[in-house]
Amino acid sequence: MSTRLTIAYVIDPRFSGGTSSAVAAELAISVRFAKVSVHAVSSAMFKGEIASPQIQKSLNEHHLELIWDQETISADVVVVHNPSFLKTNRTLNISIVCKHLIVVAHENFHRPGGKESFDVSHCLGLLDRATLSLRKSIAPISPYNRLTISNWLSLHAQHRNWSVFQQDWFNICDFQTIPPVEFPNDRRGRHSRPGHEKFPSIQDMELLFPKQAVANVILGGEVFLQSRLNKPHWQVYPFNGINLREYFEMFDFMVYFTASTLRESFGRVLAESIAAGKVVISDPDTASIFDGAVIACTPADVDQIINDFVCHPAKYRKHVEQAQLKLEEFSSAAFQKKVLSKLEQNFGISG
Amino acid sequence: MIIVDAGQDDIKSFDAKILFASQLARRGHRVVVDENSTPQPFDRNRQFEAAPYLTDCTDVSVSNLILIGAEQISDKTLARLRSYNLAPDTSVSALGRFADQQSYIGATSKLAYAIGKEASVHDLNEMHGRQILRNSITPLVSAPVLTSKDLNTIPSLFLVLPPELLEDPIALSRLEAMAHMRSFNLSLITTGDGKELVRQSQYWGLPVYGLADLPPANFTTLADMAAFLGEGVPGERVASFALDLMQSSGVLIDCTSDAAFVSTGAPALRGPSDLAALPIYLENAVLPNRVEIGRQTQQSDWLDSTSIRHIEQVLDLPSPSLSKPSKQNTNPKTLIVPTNGNGLGHAQRCLLIAESAQDKKNISFAAFPSCVGLVTGRNFPCTPLIQKSGFHAEEHANDLVNYLRLSHHLGHRDRLVFDGGYIFDSIYRTIMDKSLDATWIRRGLWRAGQIKSNAFDREKAFNRVIVPQEAFEELNTAYTFGKQIHQVGPIIQDATLTERQKKALVSRLESSLDVKFSELVVTMLGGGVASDRSAQLQTVCATLENRPDCLHLVVVWPGSKVSPGLYGWKNTRVVKTRNALALCQLANLVISAAGYNSFHELIYHMVPSIFIPQSAPFLDDQETRARAASERDLSATVLEHEVLMLEREIRSFLDEGKGYDIQKRLKETNLPARGNGLAAKIIEKGCNQ
Repeated sequence: MSTRLTIAYVIDPRFSGGTSSAVAAELAISVRFAKVSVHAVSSAMFKGEIASPQIQKSLNEHHLELIWDQETISADVVVVHNPSFLKTNRTLNISIVCKHLIVVAHENFHRPGGKESFDVSHCLGLLDRATLSLRKSIAPISPYNRLTISNWLSLHAQHRNWSVFQQDWFNICDFQTIPPVEFPNDRRGRHSRPGHEKFPSIQDMELLFPKQAVANVILGGEVFLQSRLNKPHWQVYPFNGINLREYFEMFDFMVYFTASTLRESFGRVLAESIAAGKVVISDPDTASIFDGAVIACTPADVDQIINDFVCHPAKYRKHVEQAQLKLEEFSSAAFQKKVLSKLEQNFGISG
Repeated sequence: MIIVDAGQDDIKSFDAKILFASQLARRGHRVVVDENSTPQPFDRNRQFEAAPYLTDCTDVSVSNLILIGAEQISDKTLARLRSYNLAPDTSVSALGRFADQQSYIGATSKLAYAIGKEASVHDLNEMHGRQILRNSITPLVSAPVLTSKDLNTIPSLFLVLPPELLEDPIALSRLEAMAHMRSFNLSLITTGDGKELVRQSQYWGLPVYGLADLPPANFTTLADMAAFLGEGVPGERVASFALDLMQSSGVLIDCTSDAAFVSTGAPALRGPSDLAALPIYLENAVLPNRVEIGRQTQQSDWLDSTSIRHIEQVLDLPSPSLSKPSKQNTNPKTLIVPTNGNGLGHAQRCLLIAESAQDKKNISFAAFPSCVGLVTGRNFPCTPLIQKSGFHAEEHANDLVNYLRLSHHLGHRDRLVFDGGYIFDSIYRTIMDKSLDATWIRRGLWRAGQIKSNAFDREKAFNRVIVPQEAFEELNTAYTFGKQIHQVGPIIQDATLTERQKKALVSRLESSLDVKFSELVVTMLGGGVASDRSAQLQTVCATLENRPDCLHLVVVWPGSKVSPGLYGWKNTRVVKTRNALALCQLANLVISAAGYNSFHELIYHMVPSIFIPQSAPFLDDQETRARAASERDLSATVLEHEVLMLEREIRSFLDEGKGYDIQKRLKETNLPARGNGLAAKIIEKGCNQ
């Protein structure tokens, strides 16, 4: 008789953006592999009891119930996604009993320069005190994320009981790919959630989206819409200003740089753009997550890179096709193979 | 330049950053606040208080940016910070009261994202310990104010009172009793509502300030002691006043019901919460030991922890550029500011005083455009002020600019002389900001109902009030009392022409106007601004038109508008001049309004005159003045509607010898000595009786 692994997910399902998308995709694969329960914690960070649309859809599709604020959560493996949802909680009124507690980081623990992104110690402390477990691990979602976690742990000896999960718990990216255009033009775009952290300085933005570009499309540019900036050569839309299909038709190069004081822990929007058939350009730290699928450079180099691709369309197409192949490494199948199977091995269970 | 900003964009945050900016500015730092961060509504008092700091921050070279209230940062603030495109070497600091580590991290991150670099973020809770006001946005630091208080003079006591306490008539009567005590000079600070309560009561004469009337530092400059009644510390302005007072060796008396000051460890005295007990407490416990109390307050570790020096170090501010001004100004500048009346009477009077001064080289003027030529023509430098205009967005817009101009022009303990009936905000605030030696030249003879008690509310800003008297005693009225009031004789020029000068002037007139005359009538009825005198002018012109060898001069100020209808009369000429008095001395008859200057000049120079009083509501009581002379048969009075009477009087003066008789009586009349020299002396010596 085979024993099925039990996995309890602990999330605040009201997270918008990448975390919820990743969890939704993960649930789809986990239910095939383990006995899954999904527990919602009403953290102080969000209001209301409405889960994000991605998670609700996944729950519905896989006939999973969302259990709110159960006092005791017990399973072989308890996976807590994005512990930062506890950053404004004074207490955590749940008890977790498991063999292995895995906290999937989602956010970098440090920002560039070494400042904390959130009160990591507080969040881990709450979970630590709420949990009775044989093992406690922090799972990075990317190599860069792993680096920040390791650095942080090296500075916080009081949390040495936490290990770092050996495999990156990457965001599942099951995007339908679209072939690249045959003849690209210097049309540039970027999309992100709104927020100052998502945008570099104005000087860098001018380098990235210059007047000579045929198009400069910025989706999620509320910071510019609300400010006094006047850039006629930018088409700036609010976050839900246009639908994504229309947006992706407006550019050929995704030029994605954030504030210098932030680095993406994964960069789901870059994966979306690769899937949509674009050449994606970003800073070296972020590009490193995608192992060559994203071109790494500084803002000053972007013009030359784009010019080269425009002048060599075959090169453009080849790069995109290869990048799209790399996306396979972030697929559901890859997740099952690399991450879930690791859990099976740890527990001596075959699914 | 240091930019001070706040996490939020509400009114409270704006007030806090102006408060902090002013403290830094007092220390000699060059501080600005973004003009795009002004709140709505942006009321008048706030505008004046913020005006010295507001600027377009995209147009300055920024050395430091300080964000207060960093525990909550709005998107609007972040957008504003981002828009500055700060240079990499700009120091960015943030001060906040963070509830927990996450709050601190969140603020640090938000700032880093917006400005593209890490700011230096500091938790005020850690820096300061227990504070008299928790959750304040402004850092609540203490900075001494520069005062010139003499420890041997009667100390000033300020009572900070909640308005509900003033609703009690017994409290008001107790305050009135305290105001008469000789051991201290009492002033009250309360809210706007509380101030209005006092004004509407029978105790309206109590010196009371609204909390928003002046910056807290100005109160600190004025106060030697302050007692706080009511519950708690009512806001950041009061807290700032209290801290600065202690840091300036003042005495703070905590009479709050909840011991709001002493319970934090502040070096305050615990006084009675009952107003009835306060005078005895002051007399027995405080006043005999005032100096020692102030000294010991300065030794307090608690007070030292609030010192602005610590913030300056933490924020790594550049050394202040200003050298510390000395307490006494041994070579004060004197700035004379005549108000913008409809004539030039105020400016004329001020010039006469200035010309009587012993040391003229330190005297300059700030005047409205209509007066600038007059002033510079008398060889005094003159800074132009902005005239009120219907084109301005707000009626006090000109006064805001004038406030800034006066502030730039004057230094600590310089002298300011203001001549006018209404004390502008610009005048009041500049006096208080700079601790100026201030003189108010204030005439009397207001109409009934024209003057209200609150018109004199700002008299307390002045060291002295000079009241130029009227020629006739019954016209003199005392509106306020005290040793700061100085009555001087009429301030009028002495421009008596010699016979030779008169002949020369006649020749010049005949030559320039190409006319011969044996009879001269001068009409000075104003430029039509105060009242329309066209009917009267036409009457005079018509009456004189057929008189042989008669020259009728219509005299107006340069720049006045003149009705074209005057140019059609053969015997009438329009003359624009500032030297009307010379022409009047040639005249057989002068027809004039009865403003203070014109009236007294004509009487004192023994010119036969018919007075037609102006009646505009903003003018003083010209009719009473005119009748004081005419009832003594020293002139004639004709009211504006008495056109036929005017014609008869003209003929009486010219043809029936009335002018001659009046002149004779004027020569025989003893009039009070002029007060020009005495007024100048009072101002120069800084005299009070």
